[in-house]
Amino acid sequence: MSATEAVPATPVNPDSKRGSSAQRQFDLTKLLGASITFIAFLVVFLIYTIWLGGKFASTDARALDIHQNTPVLLLGLAVLVTLIAGQFDLSVASMATLSAFLVIGLKLNQDWPFALVLAVCLLVGVVGGAVNGFLVVKLRVNTFIATLGTGGVFLGLSAVYSKGTQIVAGAGQAELPSWFSGANSLGSLGEKFPAVLVWVGLGAAAVMVFLAFRRMRPARTEERRWDIISGAVVVVIAAILFALGLSNWVNAISWTMGVLLIVALVVWLLLDYTTYGRYLRATGSNAEAATLAGVNPGKETFKAFVLGGVLAALAGILLGANQGTASPGAATSFLLPAFAAAFLSTVILSTGRFHVWGTLIGGTFLVWVSQGLIVGGVPFTWTEVVNGLVLILAVAFSSVFKRRTT
Amino acid sequence: MDATTVATGSAASPEGDRDGFGQIEPAKDIVISGLRKSFGSTEVLGGIDLTIRGGDFVGLMGPNGAGKSTLIKILDGVYDRSSGQIQYGGEAVSKLGERPEVGFIHQDLGLVDELSISDNLRLGEQPMRRIGPFVDRGREREAAVRALANVGLELPVETLIGQLSPGEKTLVAITRVLERGARVIFVDEATSTLPPHDSHRLIEALKQTAARGATVIMVSHKLSEILDATNRVVLLLDGKIVADSPAASLDRSALVEMLVTREKEDVAQEATAKPRPAGGGKELLRLEDVKGGLIDGVDLILKSGEIVGLTGLPGSGLHDVAHLAHGTMKPRGGKVVRAAGCTSALVPPHRETQGGFLEQSTLENLTISSLSRWRSPVRLLRGGSERRDAGEVMDRLSVRPADPGAVFGTLSGGNKQKVVFGRALLSGPSVYVLCEPTRGVDVGTRMEIYKLIEDLASGGAGVLVVTSDSEDLFAICNRIAVVVDGRLGAFIEAEETNPQQLEAFI
Repeated sequence: MSATEAVPATPVNPDSKRGSSAQRQFDLTKLLGASITFIAFLVVFLIYTIWLGGKFASTDARALDIHQNTPVLLLGLAVLVTLIAGQFDLSVASMATLSAFLVIGLKLNQDWPFALVLAVCLLVGVVGGAVNGFLVVKLRVNTFIATLGTGGVFLGLSAVYSKGTQIVAGAGQAELPSWFSGANSLGSLGEKFPAVLVWVGLGAAAVMVFLAFRRMRPARTEERRWDIISGAVVVVIAAILFALGLSNWVNAISWTMGVLLIVALVVWLLLDYTTYGRYLRATGSNAEAATLAGVNPGKETFKAFVLGGVLAALAGILLGANQGTASPGAATSFLLPAFAAAFLSTVILSTGRFHVWGTLIGGTFLVWVSQGLIVGGVPFTWTEVVNGLVLILAVAFSSVFKRRTT
Repeated sequence: MDATTVATGSAASPEGDRDGFGQIEPAKDIVISGLRKSFGSTEVLGGIDLTIRGGDFVGLMGPNGAGKSTLIKILDGVYDRSSGQIQYGGEAVSKLGERPEVGFIHQDLGLVDELSISDNLRLGEQPMRRIGPFVDRGREREAAVRALANVGLELPVETLIGQLSPGEKTLVAITRVLERGARVIFVDEATSTLPPHDSHRLIEALKQTAARGATVIMVSHKLSEILDATNRVVLLLDGKIVADSPAASLDRSALVEMLVTREKEDVAQEATAKPRPAGGGKELLRLEDVKGGLIDGVDLILKSGEIVGLTGLPGSGLHDVAHLAHGTMKPRGGKVVRAAGCTSALVPPHRETQGGFLEQSTLENLTISSLSRWRSPVRLLRGGSERRDAGEVMDRLSVRPADPGAVFGTLSGGNKQKVVFGRALLSGPSVYVLCEPTRGVDVGTRMEIYKLIEDLASGGAGVLVVTSDSEDLFAICNRIAVVVDGRLGAFIEAEETNPQQLEAFI
């Protein structure tokens, strides 16, 4: 066979299609690869439901889990932001503890105006994050060492401030605002977030899913037909969710959870739909390439630490609202589940990418896995063991699966 | 004292102590049949049948994304194959990479920069022992000296790998596989990142190794190399072998014709050096005695509509000029003067480490330098128009796969280069600083990139091409200068010189 004859059959660059031929195509294997961990969790919950029945599959009980877990999920977001920049912030749990002491203590002991108290807490978050950023970016201290050190300082300061004891309401004359903590307040499960806002959010999510799916049209499928398929997919998903009790869930969302959702929405927009988010991901992916592409990695990393500090302080405030008291090391045990949640986001509805909703889902699933065991009779002291194991299993499982499919 | 005392070629065999001299025992035939590979739903290799006889010197060619690297990686065992058979000497094997007779030289050479040449040659092998755990350094050193002489590398074996030029590193990698008894060597685009002098050396070493009886399979985009060194050319297109001819029956134009199917007359016109009319409008960028990095004083003026080419050896500070001009390197002395409102974009020289964000999408890699363009009044990005603009650039450069969501790290080397180039295009600056713009891209894309660069200059941009590939310079540049030891030689009009003359300056 002569070389020249063989060629014309296979053109190198088919420049045929009108408009841009570049578009994302629907790929079932990829979709399955991204959802496999998510599905595995659902299977676990199905097993729990069969095993424990209504004791596990109860909207109120599971919503309570999320409600109590809100500070952890917020810490997960704090960790997520710095992880995207390629940094580990180990100080967030200590920052949350410090902030919880300040929000309770400055009101009960010092009786400052509550708005000022909240502002001070957030400001402490900003300053703490800035110190981390300064150490890592300007002084180039290893991120583990820097944040381990500042974490020690934050925790130490909380102990210095409280003289090492718990701060409880009722002892002094001042009280926490009634909207903040106690019955029917921000911190209670009883006070529900306006359902209408949730419905609006879910509607928007449905439209986004539809649009995203529509963009993945395979070249061979006709446009109108694919529109119908995309619409059908959204309707089916919605139907499944309603069958699983979506309306009960919407009505079970407390104000704490609502605040979490709003914060998550803002962080999500920031990370995925702003230049800042892109710069941050570029920084975390390859700082040298980012610099050459016109990004300033140091600046973006610094901002990530500040944002992480603020989110951690907010987590402390919500912890204060939930508990109404501040105890030494209150948030210390939150560090592992927060990191677990952030890392689970790379395998939940995603392949290797840190993202906001995956963090919330991952953190929630983590609590449910251990709660199911507790309901089933396993002592609660096993929680941390379960958290550690689930994190390792989920991430290992998906990396094995990812290797299979590529 | 060291390697210089051992004459090249006629010295001891790579097996060194084992059997003394000269020839390499001929390799057995490799028979590949019905080899297929798919990634997800994309078929990358669609049934490869290929017999490589012992002693062949095969040049494997094909456009970017044709499946060359995938084929090599399957043979090595980096990837699993979807179906098909591989036989070595009539014996079915799952991967050739695990056989000591077969050695693979990938683009990533797998050498440790912090260790010496001699230590790198022994890496992963049993050390030569004196007594108990003590290593016999003397004997290892002698073996290394002999082995290096075989590929014509004359360097003290104590030299750290990090101090070697890229070409020398590749030679060390080849020495290492030969030392382990390889009789078949696969070389994947080893010369694409090398300056002419180094790649010439490498090709000579490979020719010598083949002459001694080894089988060599070389992936390359460089036509002259393929014609010079190989005795058989295999062409891969879209995952299939479409041509397999003796090299003697081919010449340069036949090869170009094999590789480029479209617009043949265009290619014929452009493959020969095409001097451009001298451009030169408004002055955009001026370097006045600028010092920085390896550069010790450079004067340079870049005007609108002009393409200026710089070349030089690695270590001459060539790429530092690019960083100084772009602004990613702060000058130690001298002055960089930019015209008011002058912006610049850079295609960095080291694609693999500086090019992009491996785990992110093609889209994100393309648009990172020009994001503010799609920012809406509420500070959020307009996803739709971002995707559309990125899609246009992907079409223009024929990036494959044509999916803006594809993960950048999974793209082939040439397609990565296109994306990095597309990023510069999207940001639409007044000055383009392009380092090695055609490194690792196939002939068809090379022509397209040349045309694009000329369009950019016609559109009023100033282009600084910093390259070790003299073909780039003669194809598109108005003025050419050579960087030697941190200084810039005089500029020459491209029409007034030729490649041979230029190489004398280097």
